[in-house]
Amino acid sequence: MELVEKLNGDVAILVLNGRLDSNTSKILEDKVMDILRQGSKKVLMDFQDVDYINSTGLRVLLLALQQLKKNQGRLVLCCIKDYMKEVFEISGYTEIFPIFATQDEAVQGFA
Amino acid sequence: MDDVVVLRLSNHLPDLDRLAEAVEAFGERHGFPRKMIYQVRLVLDELLTNVISYGFSDDKQHEIEVEMRLAGSKLLFRIEDDAAPFDPLQANSPDLTSSVEDRAIGGLGIHLVRKLMDLVRYERREGKNRLFLEKTIS
Repeated sequence: MELVEKLNGDVAILVLNGRLDSNTSKILEDKVMDILRQGSKKVLMDFQDVDYINSTGLRVLLLALQQLKKNQGRLVLCCIKDYMKEVFEISGYTEIFPIFATQDEAVQGFA
Repeated sequence: MDDVVVLRLSNHLPDLDRLAEAVEAFGERHGFPRKMIYQVRLVLDELLTNVISYGFSDDKQHEIEVEMRLAGSKLLFRIEDDAAPFDPLQANSPDLTSSVEDRAIGGLGIHLVRKLMDLVRYERREGKNRLFLEKTIS
């Protein structure tokens, strides 16, 4: 998995690319911890180029959300591929994560 | 006629890449929808990751056999291993209604398996776990 970080105002945007699974989820977990240390409170994960996620990847998302909430932060997701949406639903994640169709909408969602 | 693919994997996580490739190839060969290919790959990934990560207490190499069979409109799987007895149907369901703060990390993999498959059947026979899965193609 590759990961590009950019800033849009005070929103830290993580553009993810590839697979989010047992081999790669640690990269994202470490990145989230970095962002928390830097004091960012608004994090957006862009799933546009994520073509696979398993329960290890999903677990990292929940961990990130819990850590951010503990620090009065927020985490939103965007651009999840259609074929992966049912798995997010079954996991109960559509209830706890704000999920947007586009990155722009997600950034606006923080306002 | 049925199309059958049998894979023999060793108990090393990198071997799961071979399984993923085989599922992709099988699905594409039969024109399965993207969602179906993804979900099947996910289910096998979850089950095999569990077996490889927690199933063996020795350092020996073990073989795990995975059979995929397309029979009419049904996709059938058999997973056979000599790991410690583990019936995924007996695992507790995670609580998916608690608040973010209280939500437990874990148990999600087996939950996904049960939700994404139409049928899951487990048996322990001759020192082996045998798991049968069924999903109707949609």
